[in-house]
Amino acid sequence: MKRYLETGNFAITEGALLAGCRFFCGYPITPATELAEAMSKRLPQIGGVYLQAEDECAAMHLCIGASLGGMKAMTATSGPGYILYADPFGWAIGCEMPLVVLNSGRVGPVSGITGAPGQGEFYLTRYPTQGGNFESVVLAPNSAQECMLMVCEAFYLSERLRMPITVLADQLITDGMEDISVPENEAEMKEMGIRTYPRKHHAGPDFYPHTDALDIPPVQMGIGAGGLCSDWTPTPEGYDIEEVSDHHKHAYRLIYKVRNNRSLFNHHYEKKFMDDDPDLVVVSYGTPSRVVNTAVGKARSQGLKVGALRLINLWPFPDELFKRATTYLSVELNWDGELVREVQRAASKDSKVHFLGSCGDLPTIPDLLETFEKILKNQPLARKDWVLEVW
Amino acid sequence: MATQYSSSALVDNYLRKRKIPSTACSGCGLGINHKIVIQAIEELHLSVNDIVWGTSIGCAGRQTFATWQGDGFAGTHGRAYAIARGLRIALPRDKKIILTVGDGDAFGIGLLHLIHSARSNADMTVIVNDNLGYQSTGGQFGFTTPQGVKTDSSPYGMFEHNLMSEGMDVMHILKGAGATFLARHVCMDGAEAVESVKKAILNPGFSLVHMPYPCPTNFASRHLGSRNAVNIFNWMKERSAPLGKETPDTIWATGIYHDAVGSRSEFSDHIWSTVNKIRRTGAL
Ligand code: SF4
Repeated sequence: MKRYLETGNFAITEGALLAGCRFFCGYPITPATELAEAMSKRLPQIGGVYLQAEDECAAMHLCIGASLGGMKAMTATSGPGYILYADPFGWAIGCEMPLVVLNSGRVGPVSGITGAPGQGEFYLTRYPTQGGNFESVVLAPNSAQECMLMVCEAFYLSERLRMPITVLADQLITDGMEDISVPENEAEMKEMGIRTYPRKHHAGPDFYPHTDALDIPPVQMGIGAGGLCSDWTPTPEGYDIEEVSDHHKHAYRLIYKVRNNRSLFNHHYEKKFMDDDPDLVVVSYGTPSRVVNTAVGKARSQGLKVGALRLINLWPFPDELFKRATTYLSVELNWDGELVREVQRAASKDSKVHFLGSCGDLPTIPDLLETFEKILKNQPLARKDWVLEVW
Repeated sequence: MATQYSSSALVDNYLRKRKIPSTACSGCGLGINHKIVIQAIEELHLSVNDIVWGTSIGCAGRQTFATWQGDGFAGTHGRAYAIARGLRIALPRDKKIILTVGDGDAFGIGLLHLIHSARSNADMTVIVNDNLGYQSTGGQFGFTTPQGVKTDSSPYGMFEHNLMSEGMDVMHILKGAGATFLARHVCMDGAEAVESVKKAILNPGFSLVHMPYPCPTNFASRHLGSRNAVNIFNWMKERSAPLGKETPDTIWATGIYHDAVGSRSEFSDHIWSTVNKIRRTGAL
């Protein structure tokens, strides 16, 4: 194990290389640029390729092309670039092409503030392309070390599910310097819980079965198996077809290969002080969860029965974690509230759901403690006058 | 003199019978373009396994996707060139990439990606099957629609500046961008077109062959008021001439526009040899 004091971008790069990534293509954007720079340095050293594309749309298509040729590929961007991935994302979903996409969130909408963290793409990562009829998988680390692990995990899931997977981080995680341990051999990787899955080669001309089956190698070009894939609705052989019944089967696979195989990733969450059925459950993901964890620890020492639930797999949304009727507070790095809507939807109808937003800056521990106390005492929350009181 | 092949032999050797005949309208020139490409492949003695076939959207994409017996893909609007560049990195060097795309895809929505494929001299052969506008969507003008032509979206006659008028030519752009082989043929050019496509395929770099063809269903029915294929074939033939023999009516000068084969290193060769050097020495 080698230890470093380095950024999340460094950790992501090392994680991707451990997972077998040998192709990276991006387009410069703050705060994901440093990841591209790290890849441009590291990939050639181990026989991989770094390319800089003409725009984000091309960057992801180049990754698709590399993946279509049998390489493990990755790209990285921030919100304004992630939205430009919508087109290739759809192709990769429909053609079932493995790929890992890192989105380092910053304050939006649009270009917003380049150097401040934001969580405005919660829903965008669920619906990264048009047309619906698919399920998505999104992982959200909250530290540099976890970035490394989650990128490896994203490659693992991406190969087994045959689809692009998003790792949703933010500027604080990717740019922040932290203590990082990088495994140096397979035994150490195993010890850290890193799972890897090799790219398998497409053995025949068939595109896919109309089932939720895992571990079907993606279509690969250049091996002469007569493999076909396109953005049109496919027959099981990969021919394009304009039949609703075929589309139904296609959509079934895209949705249920994820939903029916949730045991692959539904262990990705973190509970703190949750064993005694707390009166208030604070829900968060990414960087805010670090402040939340500290604040919840402090609240406990003050006798408040508060627990923290940190989501790592954001999509499919882990509804099962919200079965218990209680009071929930969603803490997010946005003002409009995105995660809170899913908590509202998933929570039993006897639950109460509150929202605390901030943007570009993390909530402070005193702010959080005050909010916990008020919620537990049923008092109105201290709101800035332009923030909605009620969700 | 090029050998004449029977269509059935070409179909047997290279195409998926399930896709033949294609779903293109009767009288469409697209099938002739497609045959020119397949014939070039046959004359080069290439096998199904030597080629990855990519297409994109529109009539050119929809009608040629999955007709090739070997590996094939279709990209979204204008993106096949970016996919092909990524694929070029991953593919064994001896595999060839042929993209049969439309004019809207190549010269409209995909032009930026096309330019960067030319810049990087990525080894691919792009066949632009130009039906002179957006015919798959019902017949709107495009960037190569001749001036004055009436379409559903140019009811007063095509009056926008475009890439085939006023001395402008998309070939100039591609040449400036670094393409190493460029040719243009109308689908009636037959054996000459086959020869150009063969040169394009053999070029270990970025090649593009622009091949305008007649669309009786939309283009001809709007502009000539008839779906009779003979009219539109004649109309196009009258407006094409070999390079150097142009007349004032010529829209499409045909032949080889630019042959710089071997003048620059190929994209994936360049990238991989550089990567290997960095790997060996830690520097360049
Ligand atoms: S619409 Fe025109 S170009 Fe398209 S297939 Fe029909 S005839 Fe050919």
